[in-house]
Formats: sequence, structure tokens, C-alpha cells
Amino acid sequence: MTDPVSNLHFGPEPELDPEAQAIKRARSHRRRAKPGNRIKLNLTAMIDVVFLLLIYFMVATDFKVGEEIYRMDLPDRSQAQAEQDPFDLDEEPLRINVATSGLGRSRYQISIDGPYPQPDDFQELFEILRARQIRDNASGGLFEPDHPIVIQPTRTTQWEHAIEAFNAAARARYTNVIFAKPQ
Amino acid sequence: MSSIHKRGNAEVNANLTPMIDVTFLLIVFFVLVSQIVEVESVSMDLPEPIDPMTQKAGEDQRAVINIVPALERGRIEGYRLGTRLFPPGPDGIEALTNQLQTLFEANPTLAINLRADRITHYQYVEPALQAVTDAASRVESADVKARINLVIIRPEGVVHD
Repeated sequence: MTDPVSNLHFGPEPELDPEAQAIKRARSHRRRAKPGNRIKLNLTAMIDVVFLLLIYFMVATDFKVGEEIYRMDLPDRSQAQAEQDPFDLDEEPLRINVATSGLGRSRYQISIDGPYPQPDDFQELFEILRARQIRDNASGGLFEPDHPIVIQPTRTTQWEHAIEAFNAAARARYTNVIFAKPQ
Repeated sequence: MSSIHKRGNAEVNANLTPMIDVTFLLIVFFVLVSQIVEVESVSMDLPEPIDPMTQKAGEDQRAVINIVPALERGRIEGYRLGTRLFPPGPDGIEALTNQLQTLFEANPTLAINLRADRITHYQYVEPALQAVTDAASRVESADVKARINLVIIRPEGVVHD
């Protein structure tokens, strides 16, 4: 077994053979030649993947562009539970019947219960409702803006036709519009 | 050897760190948005009424009921609230009502957005409206001011009043 202490060397370095000296010079020269040499990560592959992910999510994300809402308040139970004035007369709601009569957006039938002109389309429905609303600057009004209006679709009425009827009443500035159970 | 850079040829290095930062932020944004949108909106053809008297959806707290259309015209697969799908029929509607009741108990001013395909038959939409009304009426709190928002698409080119 070699004694480690005997390997210690003090004093001038021992002579190296010429080949070893050349290797040592080359190594020392390499270290001095590029003083700013650092370890670098190759980020190219990661950036490629990150961009692919970004493009995927940009394409796959479906924003709800153009979605809007009709606010429809539910009946206020606090008022419902309050004592009612026995002399108050219930207002008879204006009932609008809507039915889908075939495939297609323009295949529908509308009718208003009561002695009112019958509309052919939702624009006419809007005009009839608007004309019969009590307003300061117009005569011939029958209904207050908060007069109850009931949209009465059938079981097979398409949702878009029910919504169109609702929209006609909302456009005419009625504030108490509800949907009835299907007939 | 370059006359300017005595140590060798000049190297141009682009610092990619800010770009990678921004790119990661964008990815995180899209991941989150796509998850939120997936929960809230099922892909469907919403009604597009002429000249709608609507308003933009605010940032109010809301839950979304999606009436998921079936392949058969006018019919539905069920009612989706969050990630749960409730089947059509009395049992599914009862379960939906119970779920809505739980939500109203946690947040009495919660708004319910209702999304239904334009060709969905009304017989499938009305039970969802009824479920919201029933759930609100079951909650003991008098603060419950339940609201249903009917979601539509505003036709392009039509501006707000």
C-alpha cells in the first residue's frame, strides 16, 4: 500500500515529459482563449413546443362572442306573501300564443287572445303591443308598461320563436313578461 | 479577425427570455379561458332575434344551465349545470332543482343564465325555467332574488340602443 504522505511533493514541480507538457499547455490555452464561456441551454425545442401549444389553445378556444341576455326576474315572494288588498282587481294578462308550423325560421303562427288585430309576424306583434301601451304622448293606449304579458308557446314551439315573441314584448317596453307552461 | 472585436468575430444573440415569459402567460390564459368556456357554454346554435332588446352579460355571479341539444331535431340530451348533466324527465329536473337550491343557499343573489338551441322544443325549456323558480322558492332566505337570464346571440351589425 502506498503511503499518501510520500506522494506529497514540495519544492519545484517535477519535470514532465514533452508530450504531457504540450497537453497541459493546450488545456491552459483553451481555458484562457474564451474567458466568457458558459453553459447554455438549447431552448429551441422548448420554444417550438410552447408555440405549438399556444396556437392550439388560440384555435381551440371558443369565446362567447356576441352573446347577450334578457333579464327575466322571477316572482318576488316577499310581495306574494304580503297581505293583498281585497279591492285590488287582478289584471287579466295579455296572452300571446306562438306555434311553430314547420321547418324554417319563418314558419310560425302568432295570435293574441282577445279582440285585437292578429299579427302575421313578430314585427307586427311588436307594433300592436306598442300601439296599445299607455304613453304620455300617444292616445289609444290600453295597457300600462307593467301590464302582465304571457307568452304561451306550444310543446313543439321552437325556442327561437318563443324568444322572438318575448323580444317583441320587451321591445315594446313591457316589463312584466313571462312564459307559460306549454299547451 | 474583426478590427473592432479583437477577440474574434462578433456574435449576435437574441435574448429570448421576455418572449418566452409572454408566451407562457398567453398559454396559461388560454388554458384557463378554454376551461371556463367549456364549463359554461356548450356549443349550440343560440336564437338570434331581430333587433333584440337585450343587454350585455355583466360580471355578476352566475350559474349557467345549458340545455344540450340531441341529434334528433328539437330534442335534448339533458340539462348541464357546471359539469353535471341532468337527464330530461321528472327525476332529472328534480335533481337539477336540488342542485340549484344548493347554489341559491350559498349565494341568494345568484343569476342563472339559460342557454338553449334555437330549434329546441319549448317543452324541454320550460322545465328548466320551472326548476329555477322552484329552487328559489324552496330556499328559506328572504334575500333570494333569483333571476333567469335568457341567452341569445345578437345579430352582427345590430348595435345597442
